[in-house]
Amino acid sequence: MKEETSNNSRRKFLKSVGLSVGAAGVVSGFSLLGAAKAAAQEPGETVNLLTQDGQLVKVDKNQLRPTVSEPLTELQKRGREGIAGKSFVMVIDLSKCRNARKCMDACQNHHQLRTDQHHINVLQMQDAEHTAPYFMPKPCQHCDNPPCTKVCPVDATFKRQDGIVLIDNERCIGCRFCIAACPYSARIFQWTEPKDAEKYKNLTYNIESNVPQKKGTVSKCLFSADRLREDKLPSCVSSCPNGVYYFGDRNEDAVTNGTSGETVRFTKLIKENAGYTLMEELGTKPRVYYLPPKNRAFEFNGDLLNEENLH
Amino acid sequence: MKNIIKITASLFLIFTLSVSVVSAQSWSVPNLSKKKQNPYDTSTKNISSGKKIYNINCKSCHGDATMRNMLPLQPVAPSDLGSQAFLMQTDGEIYYKVNKGNGAMPTFKKTLNDESKWMVITYLRSFDKNKKVSKKIAEVKNPEVSDVKLLLDINKETKSVSANLTGVTKKGARVALQGIELSFKVKRSFGYLDISGNDAYTNEQGMIEIPFPSDLPGDREGHVNLLVKVTDDAYYGEITVDRIATLGVPTDPENPLDERAMWGTRANAPIWIIVSYVGGVLSIWSIIFLVLFQLIKLPKLAKTEE
Repeated sequence: MKEETSNNSRRKFLKSVGLSVGAAGVVSGFSLLGAAKAAAQEPGETVNLLTQDGQLVKVDKNQLRPTVSEPLTELQKRGREGIAGKSFVMVIDLSKCRNARKCMDACQNHHQLRTDQHHINVLQMQDAEHTAPYFMPKPCQHCDNPPCTKVCPVDATFKRQDGIVLIDNERCIGCRFCIAACPYSARIFQWTEPKDAEKYKNLTYNIESNVPQKKGTVSKCLFSADRLREDKLPSCVSSCPNGVYYFGDRNEDAVTNGTSGETVRFTKLIKENAGYTLMEELGTKPRVYYLPPKNRAFEFNGDLLNEENLH
Repeated sequence: MKNIIKITASLFLIFTLSVSVVSAQSWSVPNLSKKKQNPYDTSTKNISSGKKIYNINCKSCHGDATMRNMLPLQPVAPSDLGSQAFLMQTDGEIYYKVNKGNGAMPTFKKTLNDESKWMVITYLRSFDKNKKVSKKIAEVKNPEVSDVKLLLDINKETKSVSANLTGVTKKGARVALQGIELSFKVKRSFGYLDISGNDAYTNEQGMIEIPFPSDLPGDREGHVNLLVKVTDDAYYGEITVDRIATLGVPTDPENPLDERAMWGTRANAPIWIIVSYVGGVLSIWSIIFLVLFQLIKLPKLAKTEE
């Protein structure tokens, strides 16, 4: 009796396996058919895309779909480890910034943020009463002595071997200790459901872009760690129209300008332009360097010029 | 996922670029500025350095000169700077416009120095058919050659790279090509670092020697990816040679996780923190247990007292 049941169950098991494998085959066949059909369909909505060689092409919206990424465990593992042998740094040339805010747009597109949420923010600065105001983009400083990771009670925020400080949404409990600890106010909290939550619902969580964002967790600039893995510059760097950003590897002593694509020596750039870091006195050792707003390419046209906004 | 990012990025690019509306008013240049003359002469060196500056600062919108592959912006696309219609203008007019900017065209008053601006104008002038710029060809006369070869020699002792550019003439003899500019580049994470210096032209023997920067880091063994290229593709087509050279400073990549630090996660916490924390927890629990044991002992004590 016992044997029979076990036999039965084995048969059942084999059957179900056969069925599901077959079904998978049919399903994949269908999806292929579906893709072919979609392609054959009359072009509904089309979008214009710019190819790598600068050609504008019209693509049917039906043909655009998200690519399947690696499984969560793999993404988590490599996201925690970082890219071996690299030491990423950013240089921001304040003399070239004119508040175009393209970096912010690109960042918000990349990381599923609303327009009022900032991983990078362009601030209007005036250091003292009689000094000249200037624009200052401010991302996370990816400190080498980060105060934020010290206070996290659940190991959710951490520093990787390539110097990038990340947050793991899967671990974050939303205590916001890190927000309180960060002297640069680089972190934001997701108070409400994030933008396009429905659209990103089924996407596997990628720790390197912090997408999909999760309500009740902390988010911040990630130096576009997912793009760096593909040897691409961060979103903000490559979207700047004015050549403000340089990004590169300190181990290689080279940084590349996101606008012109020009590669220069990191040490030389910092030395010749008197580069500095924000709030050095705190000993946080930031990885974002600033070049002073000297010989400005553009006139300052911000609100600080109006008397009412000054006080 | 990757595609979505690519698509959104490109959509965003197209959108933002097309939004910046150019005011299509006529662009008047003061008479005094029109008369300004280019102080630099039309030499091969100036033209090629102008081309370099053009490629970095102008090409992204205007495309290659004479190729008409500028960005298709609305309502007014950037003009082809190699076209004869554009080159009708005087040097002074172009200089003024580069300085001032207009609509989507940014000002280059402070982003480029005067020399660079004139170099770009010199480069653009070389496309002008009305102005007989014969100097470009006259300065260096290389015979017509085929099968152009670029040979690299890496000298570890003097830390230099030398290249030799030769070609085969119609008669079948291999001759040196002189006065041709070469670019020496070192591959970095996001681009190529140019180490050619200002005067990277081949000599009469077709030779050129470039010192490798003494403080440029390589990998652990000091290897760097070197790329040598004939700067101007217009001469002999695209000629490049790449080589792995052991000229860089051997660099061990710093790993911040190697040291135990306050900011580290559990695995990287300093020993004294782990010891004092675990010690603290243990001592508190031991006191609690001590009290509990004493409490358990109480009734027994009471019995023996009785």
